[in-house]
Amino acid sequence: MTWWQRLWWRRQLEEHLDKELRFHLDQHANDLISRGHDPKDARLQARLALGGPDQIKESCRDTHGIRWLEDLLKDVRYSYRVLVQSPSFTVTAVAAIALGIGANTAIFSVVNTVLLKPLPYPDADRIVQLEDTYSGVGSQTVGPKSLNLWRQQTTVFQDISAHWLDHMNLTSGSNKELLPAAVVTSGFFRLYGAPVLHGRTFTSDEDRPGAGHVVVLGYDIWTQRFAADPGIIDKTISLSDVPYVVVGILGPFDVEQFDQPPDVWVPFQIKPDINEKDSRLCFVTARLKPGVTIETAKAELQLADEAYRRAFPGIMRPKDGSTVLPLRDAMVGDIRLPLLVLAGAVAFVLLIACANVANLLLVRATGRRREIAIRAAMGAGRGRIIRQLLTESVALSLVGGALGLALGTAGIRAFLTLYPRTPLGPSPVNPINIPRIGEAGAAVTLDWRVLVFTVLVTVLTGVLFGVLPALQVSRADLNAPLKESGGRSGAGFGQTKTLSLLVISEITLAVILLIGGGLLIRTSIALRAVNPGFDSHSVLTMQMSLAGARFGQGSGADQLVRDSIRRIEALPGVESAASSCCLPLESVWQLPYIVAGRPLNGRFHGFAGWTFVSPGYFEVLRIPLLRGRTFTDQDKAAAPGAIIINETMARVGWPNSDPLNDRLLIGRTMGPEYEKDPVRQIVGIVGDVRDLSLNLKPRPAMYVPIAQVPDTVKALEFPLLPMAWMIRTHGKPQLLSSAISNELRLASGGLPVARMRSMEEVVAQSATRAQLNMVLMTVFGCEALLLAAIGIYGLMAYSVQQRMQEIGIRLALGAQPEDVKRMVFFKGMRLALIGIAIGIPVAFGLARVIASLLFGVTARDPLVFATVPAFLSATAVVAVWLPARRAGRIDPIEALRYQ
Amino acid sequence: MTVGADLPLGTRDLFILKVIVFALVHGYAIAQRLQQVSRDVVQVPQGSLYPASHRIENRGFLAADWKQTETAREAKFYRFTRKGRRGLETEAARWQRLSEAVGLILGMAQGGIR
Repeated sequence: MTWWQRLWWRRQLEEHLDKELRFHLDQHANDLISRGHDPKDARLQARLALGGPDQIKESCRDTHGIRWLEDLLKDVRYSYRVLVQSPSFTVTAVAAIALGIGANTAIFSVVNTVLLKPLPYPDADRIVQLEDTYSGVGSQTVGPKSLNLWRQQTTVFQDISAHWLDHMNLTSGSNKELLPAAVVTSGFFRLYGAPVLHGRTFTSDEDRPGAGHVVVLGYDIWTQRFAADPGIIDKTISLSDVPYVVVGILGPFDVEQFDQPPDVWVPFQIKPDINEKDSRLCFVTARLKPGVTIETAKAELQLADEAYRRAFPGIMRPKDGSTVLPLRDAMVGDIRLPLLVLAGAVAFVLLIACANVANLLLVRATGRRREIAIRAAMGAGRGRIIRQLLTESVALSLVGGALGLALGTAGIRAFLTLYPRTPLGPSPVNPINIPRIGEAGAAVTLDWRVLVFTVLVTVLTGVLFGVLPALQVSRADLNAPLKESGGRSGAGFGQTKTLSLLVISEITLAVILLIGGGLLIRTSIALRAVNPGFDSHSVLTMQMSLAGARFGQGSGADQLVRDSIRRIEALPGVESAASSCCLPLESVWQLPYIVAGRPLNGRFHGFAGWTFVSPGYFEVLRIPLLRGRTFTDQDKAAAPGAIIINETMARVGWPNSDPLNDRLLIGRTMGPEYEKDPVRQIVGIVGDVRDLSLNLKPRPAMYVPIAQVPDTVKALEFPLLPMAWMIRTHGKPQLLSSAISNELRLASGGLPVARMRSMEEVVAQSATRAQLNMVLMTVFGCEALLLAAIGIYGLMAYSVQQRMQEIGIRLALGAQPEDVKRMVFFKGMRLALIGIAIGIPVAFGLARVIASLLFGVTARDPLVFATVPAFLSATAVVAVWLPARRAGRIDPIEALRYQ
Repeated sequence: MTVGADLPLGTRDLFILKVIVFALVHGYAIAQRLQQVSRDVVQVPQGSLYPASHRIENRGFLAADWKQTETAREAKFYRFTRKGRRGLETEAARWQRLSEAVGLILGMAQGGIR
C-alpha cells in the first residue's frame, strides 16, 4: 500500500489493527486457560504480556507514514470549529485578507497579461524589433533605408519584415466600409506563424514595387463579407478604388502588432535599394537565428551602420544608428514601471492587512492561553501547537484568498470594462492605453499563473500573519494561565510590544502609500490644468480615409473638404467646421525645413511638426493667432505658397529676426514626393498646441493649407492616416454626430465615417494613464489608511480593556479621568508618530522610483510630504481618541469588579 | 517504546522475518515463537512486535492476509514477499558481518589483556 492508499483506507486499517490485537489477547488468554489458569487471571496476564494496546496502536499508526496528514486533517477540522465559534473575528480577518489578496490578484493578472504571458507566436522569445536610434533614443518607426540596410548588411536575423497599419475602403456593391489594412512584407506571415486557410501569402517578388496588387483576407472579413467562400481566391476586390486580386485567406490569427486587428493584408512594396528615398514608415521585426544573442545582433548592427557611413558619408550622423530589442520589451514599453509600482503598492496593502490580522490573532490568543496551556499540559509539544495555530491561520487565509481571487478577477474585469466611461459609449479599443490587454481588457484573464500566484501569496500570507502570534502564544508559561481565575492579568509586556511594532509598521506602510498616491493626485491635477493650446469644449471630431486616386490627385480632396464643411456648417446647431490631416495629441508628422536664403550648415535648419489644415482650422479649435493672418479660401493651389508656424518655432528658429519676412522649404531630402512642395511664405504665427501629449512641452509646428499640398504628398499620407474633421457646435456636440456623419457621407459619395469622439475625449485620453495610476494608487492608499486606522484603534481599545483594573485602581487612588484619557491618548499617538517618522524618509527614498510618472510636481513635493503626515495624524487622533475617551469614562468601582 | 530499546534497531525486524520464513503465521504465533527461540534470554515485550511487523509490511517485505485459524477465528497472517526474501538475505548477511566484526574486536581486546 502506498501512503495515500493507507490514508484512504485508514478507517479499515484501524479496524484491522484492533482486531489483530484482540485476537492476540484472546489467543494468549485461551492458551493460558488451557494450561489451567483461572480465566480472569489469564486475561490479565495476557494483557500484561502484550503491553498497553493504545500505545501499541499509536506506534503502529506511526509506521503508516501518514501521521502528518492525519494530524493536518484533525487540525483543519479543529480550525474550522474554532473559526466558526468566533464569527466576528473570522469575518473581520477574512475581509481584511480578501481585500489584500483581491488587490494583489487584480494587479497581478494585469502584470501577467502584459509582462509575463508569452507572445502567441512561434519561438516568440527570439522575435526582436529593429529600431533607428537618434542620439541614442530609439525610434520604433523607421524608413525603407533602414529596412534595406538591415536586410542586406546583417546575417544574424531571419524573416526581417516590415509592417504598418493603414486604412482602406472596401467597396462591394453599394456598401462601403473602412477597414484596418495591414501592409506587410512577405516574411511577416512566417515570422508570426500566420495560419493560411486557403491559397497563399505573399511571395518575396511581391515585396517589389510594381509586382501587382494582391491581397490576403483576414478570417473575420472572409466569413462576414464573403460568406466564407473559398472561391473568392483569384477573384478581384476593390480596395480604396483599386482592384486587388485575392491570393489567400488566413484562419483566426491573433496578432498583437497592430492597434486594430487587420481585416485585409496587402504587400509592403519597396525598392530593395539602400538609398531608397521612399518616405513611407514601418515597424521592422525579425527573428534571431538560433543561438544568436541580442548583444551579438547589436554588435552586427553597429558594423552595418559603420559600413553605411563609409559608403554614403554625411547622411547618417555619427551619434545615430540602429539597435535591436526583444519584441515584448518593445511592445510593453513604458508601462512596465507603472505596473510594477502598482504591484508594489498592493503588496504594501497586503502587508498592512497581514499586520492587522496578526494583531487580531494576538489579541484573541490571550483568550486562548488557557486552552493552549491545557493542551501543553496534556503532552502537546510546542512544535505541535505552533503547527495547529499555523494551520488555523492558513485556513483563515485560504478562505480570504478564495474570496480575494473572486473579488480581484471580477474587480479588474469590471474596472477595465467600465473605465473610463465615455459619453459615446466605451472608447474603442483599449481606453487605458496599456499594451497587450486587448479590447476593454479582454485579454486579462484568469490563467494558471494567476492561480498559482494567488495560492502562493495566500499560503504565504497565512504563515506571515500566523507565525508571530503562534510563536508568542506557544511560548506561554504552562502554569500561569491555568492558575488564573480569568483573563484579567492582561497582555504580557512582550505581547504589547509585538502589537505596537505591528501597528507602527502599518502606519509606516500607509504613509508610503499615501505619499505615492498624493504625488500622483498632484500629477493628475497638474495634467488637467495644462492648457492644451486649443479649446476642446463643444467640439466633435470624426475621421474618414481619403485613400485612393479620387482624392489623391488634383483638387479632389480640397473640393471634398470644402463641400463637406459647407454642408456641415449649414446644419442647425453647428457653429463652424474644419478638417486637417491629424488630430492634436494623437499623431503628428515631423518634417525638416530650410529657411530660404539662410546659410546652411547641415542638410536642413530644423525639424517641426507638419499639419495640413482647412482654412477654418484655427478658428474652430480657437488656437490664438499671435501675428500675421490665418488661412483663407484664397490660399488655393495656384496661389503663392503659405505657411503658419507656432510660437515655439518662431522663438527657436528666429531668435533675433522676424519670421514673417522669411520663406520656408519643407521636406527637402525626405524623398522625391516633397520636391514639388512650393516655397512657402510664413504668413502667421499661432499659439502653441500640445501635439504629442499633455505632459510634454509643445514642439515647433508648421501648418499648411490643404489646397496647397502636392499630389505626391497626398498619395503618401492619405493611406496612412484618415482625415480628421472637427466641428464646433452650440450645446452638446454628441447630439449632432449622426447628422454630421450623414452629411460627410453624402459629400464624399458614401465614404465611411469612423471614430466619432468629442475633442474633450481626445484630450482626456492623453491623460488616462496618469489618471489610472492616480485612481488606483489613491484607492490603495485609502485602503491602507483605513486598515492602519483600524489597527491602531483596535490596539488601543484592546489595551484599555486589558488594563481596566489598573485604570480602575488609578482612578480609585485619585487619578483624574483627564489624566487617564491623556495617558491612553499619548500612548496611541506615540505609536502613530513613530510610524509616520519612519515612513517619511522611506517614502522620500521610494518616491524617486515613480519620479518618471510624475508631471508638474517633484518627487519631493513639500505639499504632499506635509499634508500626508498631517492627514494621517488626524486619522490617528480620531482612532486613538475613541478608546481614550472610553478609558476616561471608566467607573472605578465597576472596573475593580470587572471579571 | 522504552521497553526493548536495548535491542539495536533491526534486530527485532530480523527476528520476525526469521520466524515467518518457515510458515504463514499470525502475530501471536510470532510472539510465542520469538519467546521460544530466544529462550527467554531476550525479553521482547510482545506488543512491540506489532509496530515492527507493520513497519516491515509497509516496507513491502511482508504481505498479510486475513484467514481462519484452526479455532475458526479470523486472524492476520503474515507471509513473505519476494522482496522480503531478498531483504532477509541481505539483512542476515549484514548481521553476520557485524557480529563477526564485534567478535573480532572483542577477541582482540582479550588478546591484549593476555
